[in-house]
Amino acid sequence: MIEQVLQTLPQVLIDGLALGAVYAIVALGYTMVYGILELINFAHGEIFMTGAFVGTAILLTFSGLGWMASMPAILALLLVLIVTSVATGLLGMGIERVAYRPLRNAPKLITLITAIGISFLLQDIVRFITELKNGNYILTGPSLFSKQIGVKASAISSVFNDASVKSSFFIVLILAVIMMVALDFFVNKTKWGMAMRAVAQDRETAALMTVNVNKVIALTFFIGSALGGATGVLFAVQYGTIDPYIGFILGLKAFTAAVLGGIGNIRGAMFGGIMIGLLEMFAAANLPVVSHGILGAEYKDVFAFAILIIVLIFKPEGLFGKVSVEKV
Amino acid sequence: MDVKNLLSTIQANKRLQAIIVGLYIVVTFASLYLAQKSVIAFLLLLASLLLLYFTSFSNRVKWLVGGLVLVVLLPLAASQGEAYQSYMEVATLVGIYIAMALGLNIVVGLAGLLDLGFVAFFALGSYTYGIFATSQANNFMPFGHYPLSGESFWVFIFIGCLVAALFGVLLGIPVLRVKGDYLAIVTLGFGEIIRIIFNNLDKPVNITNGAMGLASVKPPELFGIQFMYPSQFYYIVLIILIAVIFAVRRLEYSKIGRAWKAVRENEIAAQAMGIHLVRTKLMAFAVGASFSGMMGVVFAAKQTFVDPTSFTLVESITILVMVILGGMGSVPGVILGAAIVTILNLQVLTELTNWLNQLSLSGVIHVPDALSPAKMQRFIFGIILILFALYRPQGLLPAKNPVFDEKDLKDTDSNHPMNTGVHKGGTQHVHLDS
Amino acid sequence: MSILTVKNLTKQFGGLVANSNINMEVQQGSITAVIGPNGAGKTTFFNMVTGVYQPTSGEILLNNESIVGLKPHQVTKKGIARTFQNIRLFGAITVLENVMVGMHNHLQGGLFSTILNLPRVKKEEKEARREAYRLLEYVGLESFFNEEARNLPYGAQRKLEIARALATKPKVLLLDEPAAGMNPKETNELTKLIYNMREELDLTIILIEHDMKLVMEISEHIVVLDHGEKIAEGTPDEIRNNEKVIEAYLGKGAAATAS
Repeated sequence: MIEQVLQTLPQVLIDGLALGAVYAIVALGYTMVYGILELINFAHGEIFMTGAFVGTAILLTFSGLGWMASMPAILALLLVLIVTSVATGLLGMGIERVAYRPLRNAPKLITLITAIGISFLLQDIVRFITELKNGNYILTGPSLFSKQIGVKASAISSVFNDASVKSSFFIVLILAVIMMVALDFFVNKTKWGMAMRAVAQDRETAALMTVNVNKVIALTFFIGSALGGATGVLFAVQYGTIDPYIGFILGLKAFTAAVLGGIGNIRGAMFGGIMIGLLEMFAAANLPVVSHGILGAEYKDVFAFAILIIVLIFKPEGLFGKVSVEKV
Repeated sequence: MDVKNLLSTIQANKRLQAIIVGLYIVVTFASLYLAQKSVIAFLLLLASLLLLYFTSFSNRVKWLVGGLVLVVLLPLAASQGEAYQSYMEVATLVGIYIAMALGLNIVVGLAGLLDLGFVAFFALGSYTYGIFATSQANNFMPFGHYPLSGESFWVFIFIGCLVAALFGVLLGIPVLRVKGDYLAIVTLGFGEIIRIIFNNLDKPVNITNGAMGLASVKPPELFGIQFMYPSQFYYIVLIILIAVIFAVRRLEYSKIGRAWKAVRENEIAAQAMGIHLVRTKLMAFAVGASFSGMMGVVFAAKQTFVDPTSFTLVESITILVMVILGGMGSVPGVILGAAIVTILNLQVLTELTNWLNQLSLSGVIHVPDALSPAKMQRFIFGIILILFALYRPQGLLPAKNPVFDEKDLKDTDSNHPMNTGVHKGGTQHVHLDS
Repeated sequence: MSILTVKNLTKQFGGLVANSNINMEVQQGSITAVIGPNGAGKTTFFNMVTGVYQPTSGEILLNNESIVGLKPHQVTKKGIARTFQNIRLFGAITVLENVMVGMHNHLQGGLFSTILNLPRVKKEEKEARREAYRLLEYVGLESFFNEEARNLPYGAQRKLEIARALATKPKVLLLDEPAAGMNPKETNELTKLIYNMREELDLTIILIEHDMKLVMEISEHIVVLDHGEKIAEGTPDEIRNNEKVIEAYLGKGAAATAS
């Protein structure tokens, strides 16, 4: 049994990293919004999904227009990423303006309900637009970077099997790292980033220090949603086929990652994302083996939820968060 | 101005109200009776209950008239057309969902706990009956011969109730230690976990038959009569529903109900009043779950088929929409909300889709299949949730506080320490020498 | 007889020491005031006594029985009730029901007896309503009984918190800034109410207050906290002239002038 686990380890690590990168960036959206508004933005998973669809749609249009042949794929991808992130960024900002801002002083329950409503709304809007144009709500994008590259892990040790990697994996990973580093820089080294951190810590005082709180919150949503949307494009490129319901489960897992890393903590979210991605791939590959076929691969989702529940019960501040005491 | 005057005249005059309601019932009853298939007449007759709600008759009268409509008039009128069973099917499902919504109302509306995995208890009830009322249980039970006879159904209603309540507590224990914001996500996670487990519990021991589901669930049997038609299940559902409504009403205005509301309003203050937070919340979970469990058993018997696809997140959100639409914490509100949403789902959307299809066929307008109302369920629910959360969070029939009668409350015991001292502020207490 | 004894009570939040080695004895039937500048740790002290915070170290004895480690609802059962600095009413329910919530531990209605509407539950509820109304009359709020608690004027809300606390039938009543935001007439009524409660209901009262007129008039014993420590304790006269107290409130200059 251990041999089987070790054999698949290289592939698991690679798949896990790819998935983890996706979770990490989506987790950033959750953690930033929670840090600033103490709101779980249920709709964030759907922003990710919208990004995937917008990006795929644009790529398909490019293909249709014959542009793909005339430009390097990486250029097309970057173009699509920029357009999609701006689009989803604006979408996220719009949602905040229309649905969350009016409820800023309402009980949390009501805001959560609005978020669920938006989540459902987005799912269906994407579904019927896709169905209208495509006849079906499942969308397959043009294949980019689909060359398979072999990783000779067996050269390191005969314990490992060889793994194979789509070349898109490297693109996804590099772009993900760039996005995370850029965000980290922005939050920690720029004026607006500092404003974001200030509002997250103490909204009233930040306002007294002439920080335009509404603008900062709008910016937070823009950045989080733009990143989420961009990740959606990367996801579509990596996995090829998408449907309007991928945002929900993925959003839940990304949220788990945010909680694991310590909600409100940006670096923690990145770490949490990678961890969850690795753990999930590990579970998918090995649960059937370890349990001798009792636990099927579908249990990997249960695995992720179980982590969420355990963390929230025993260490709700996550691995890197601070314990908060309620003032009575 | 005219409408307001009219309304206030009607409000003041009970005889007028009686005439209006009576007339309305007679008209809708007649139209339903005479029409071969009229969804509208059916819904309008059902709506007479709403009309009844707004009258100023005593509760006893309202219950009597409502009972008359539901037990006698509706089935009688519906039975004359060819659509009898489909009407009763809708009515039965409405009843099932009302009970579940009342359960969620206790958890969300009264105790303030946002549970997004509520359908899990419904699933538990269904599977509890389903497993033992089909040959499924032979796979793992060391004793007994399955399926059990249909007569066991009646006992299983209670068993389903208890199993669901038990799981409500088991789920609640870990879940309630989580901070308020996260409760929603954790319950959602649990709901999904249970669905996935049911979907995969066909190995190593085949307990639920996985994705294939359980077929040929034994119909209930009583004195040799088998219950196979919606028109029969209608009465079972009606009886359980009435019991549920009674239970909820009593709990609402009791020590337990007040404890729930106190926990919802201000947990810290509730603790300071001596309320055991965890125990109170667990009770909310258990009671809410038990309603779903009972209806789950009925559902399994009615559909004669149980599979995991009936118990997804969409169902949990559907029940939530019912509670929000109707009014969190409001029993009449939630009943109305459940009725509206179920009828929307089952009748209105399908009828609308058919109608639009017909229009398309005859070339009047062309509505693409993607936009067909039956498929737009999530869109509609999303809009309802957003609009109500933003503009009417108290729902259609907001929760009302009890109104006490001052006469009931004044005490005349002159030996009570508070009555013998000197009072400050407000009115002087009057001593009555008895 | 000392009803509440506090020994070396300390509370630390990470690096911040909110209460440091507080020692105090409260006599049964007395009216004690806990005063001090903002941030002195007064509410933290209340929170520890009522079980909301667990002390970092130290002892709290009620009738010589340790109550450290008890949860808030257990502390209430033992006979300590409180009001809150920031009003914590059950806003959406009626004033009468707010008071009835306080009776929670004295009502027997269980799940099944409630659902079955057994006669003893009906009787109990009726009696509870009357008792709640009596309490409302006692504090002067009976005209509001059907009103939603959140619609009450500010002064009335404070009184409701007291009525609600009384409903728990406590032996010790902790009032956290009960006169905050009250005008002189309301403060007068409050003063009389506090005296009445002590006499008629056999209570021991401890209050946190900033209104010095009220404190000096009503307290028999005053404890002064500053920066988490007890800096003085004594009768109102003793405290009025205590240098350390003056310094804590008004600064060193004022203390020098006073002496």
